[in-house]
Amino acid sequence: MATSTTNDRKRLYISPATLTWIGFIGICITIGLVSALAVFWNGLYITNMTDSVPWGLWITIDLSAIALGAGAFTLSAVVYLFGLKRFQPIVRFAVFVGFIGYSTALLTLVMDIGRPDRFWHPWVYWNIHSVLWEITWCITIYLTIMLVEFAPVIAESHFFDRYPWVRQGAKYLHRLAPMLALIGLAISLLHQSSLGATYGIVKSRPIWFKPSMPIMFILSAIAVGPALTMALAIIAKWVTGKKSVPDDILRSIARFSGFALLIYGYIRFWDLAAVTYYGRTPSVSEAFNLLRQQTPYNFSFWVFEIFLGVFLPAILFLVPRFNRNPGYLVMGALFAVTGIVINRWNVTVGGLFVPLSYSPGTIYQLPPGKYFPGLPEWGVAIGIIGYGLAMLTLGIRYLPLFSKEEHS
Amino acid sequence: MSKKKTKIKLELTRRDFLIVGGTAAGSVVVAQFLTTGPLSPFASFKQQQVEGGEDAGSLITGHRWGMVINLDKCIGCEYCLRACSATNDVWVDIPSENNSPENKRPEKPWNIVVEEKTSTGTPFFFSRPCLHCADAPCVEVCPVKATNHREDGLVVMNYDRCIGCRYCEIACPYDARKFNWQERTDVNPYIPTWGIAEVERRPRGVVEKCTFCIHRIDAGLKEGFMPGEDLEATPACVNICPVGARVFGDLNNPNSKVSQAIETEATIRLREELGTEPSVYYVIPKEGL
Repeated sequence: MATSTTNDRKRLYISPATLTWIGFIGICITIGLVSALAVFWNGLYITNMTDSVPWGLWITIDLSAIALGAGAFTLSAVVYLFGLKRFQPIVRFAVFVGFIGYSTALLTLVMDIGRPDRFWHPWVYWNIHSVLWEITWCITIYLTIMLVEFAPVIAESHFFDRYPWVRQGAKYLHRLAPMLALIGLAISLLHQSSLGATYGIVKSRPIWFKPSMPIMFILSAIAVGPALTMALAIIAKWVTGKKSVPDDILRSIARFSGFALLIYGYIRFWDLAAVTYYGRTPSVSEAFNLLRQQTPYNFSFWVFEIFLGVFLPAILFLVPRFNRNPGYLVMGALFAVTGIVINRWNVTVGGLFVPLSYSPGTIYQLPPGKYFPGLPEWGVAIGIIGYGLAMLTLGIRYLPLFSKEEHS
Repeated sequence: MSKKKTKIKLELTRRDFLIVGGTAAGSVVVAQFLTTGPLSPFASFKQQQVEGGEDAGSLITGHRWGMVINLDKCIGCEYCLRACSATNDVWVDIPSENNSPENKRPEKPWNIVVEEKTSTGTPFFFSRPCLHCADAPCVEVCPVKATNHREDGLVVMNYDRCIGCRYCEIACPYDARKFNWQERTDVNPYIPTWGIAEVERRPRGVVEKCTFCIHRIDAGLKEGFMPGEDLEATPACVNICPVGARVFGDLNNPNSKVSQAIETEATIRLREELGTEPSVYYVIPKEGL
């Protein structure tokens, strides 16, 4: 009797830390829901976006979340296509993180469009010339692929003990994993880069219009996506105290990420050299001058995007003295993630800050597109982060994300 | 010595020969097909939009609507702005009333009129409707085909389909598009002095822009009026202009007012280097730009 009561007690017991965490997530989500309702009710009028800066914080979140979800396709491809079975133990978790990233992006996208009730239009009314149409399709297809990839994990949870046929089906689905990884790779290669193309093809915007845009987007995603997965696996280990993924795998991912970051930095270097030093076309120079004079673009570019976002994480990921310590790996991932978010912000808002010029005369100039997110925009952003954290917490707590039984 | 033993021998079996030769021949055929065949994707995709406006369109309706704006004649009276805002019921902030610095989002007209100077310092007035590009960036980027080319070259909006992603606003090089950030509650100050609303107000959350008064063109043609010649079928901004700085008509018809103006005057189009092929031509000031 005595033992059973203590057992019951144990089950109900929630530590103060857990309670604080749940409370924190709850507050975030509440703020998000209130802001979202306000936006749906009043329209985008209550945001700080304008006709000259029609995209802002939310698009930055979309782009960042999708880039950060890139760990899923990268690590799936590594295991199922390149045959590096050693990385098997992290694939489930990577797909889970990817799923959170992509669902986050879709949620924010629905907030961002003027007619959320018509969110389904891209699937019915096709414009095959539009990169945004292609991205919408790819994101939805990829979300489905991740769900199918992930179905066996959900089927393994205790809830399905009673339904063996679900497990049977899931097992069958699992055999599709290599094929799903292949499709996932193809689709990801398409949309991760087309997100950059969304900007790169707009010929009227001087600092966007360049062919390097898609390449830089996909490279940074491949570099930072796995790093985030790695860092979250380490944090999960810290919090739960259980073994998650073997350390040597995490270290290998960090090293991979470090090299990818350096390649990304290398491409960025040539992009910068070609555009500003060698190219120096009048419109581009003018645009960069404006950004330098009137915004912290230059500072945030060098400090957050390049030094803290590329070089520092690359050092932490590659130098043995640092990458043996999980603490440095998490720190490196944090900096890399910040770098990528700042990069997406700089691309979006920086590009829109530069006014269009089309008048045949000499004096008429549109004012620079000033933008800083308003309260509802921050609120939705906080809610979205809360959603991500809630999903992570629930997944780590209730799903067998790190079990290794599929090794054989 | 051991190297000699493992020397690679190049033995070409019939099977290998067929595979290599077949691949090579196949790629030549595919390359040829892709560059010149009907599937040459990028070239033909790009041309489609233009052809929709010029060739295919001229076969079906025979028209391609365009406008010529004479910068030399324009006196900057803003009548076109007002008539446009009344006729199409566009939300425009009157500068004195709503242009305070706190107004973060001034409502811009479809048709702007601004003061300008040439490079030599001569003042002139510049106005800009939607340019109805033959190769419009906005049409290309729209994910749902809510904005598209009509056969007569007009770039039209489908307000029932637009999802309000605002990509077209970002892609338009001429700042011609306007998003409805909120439900309209304003009283249009230009009605009825400058005309009456001939079209519905657009709902919240969609993008809108100048239509070349498409409702007049369509209704007018049905009743036998010729846009550009008869007032009933001509855009409001053209009709109201007190100095005749704007002319409208069929670019495909060599005798139309627009074709005549383009033939006889020195005209330019805005940012021609972008390859957007606008349907609006500007007669430049006599002193040059």
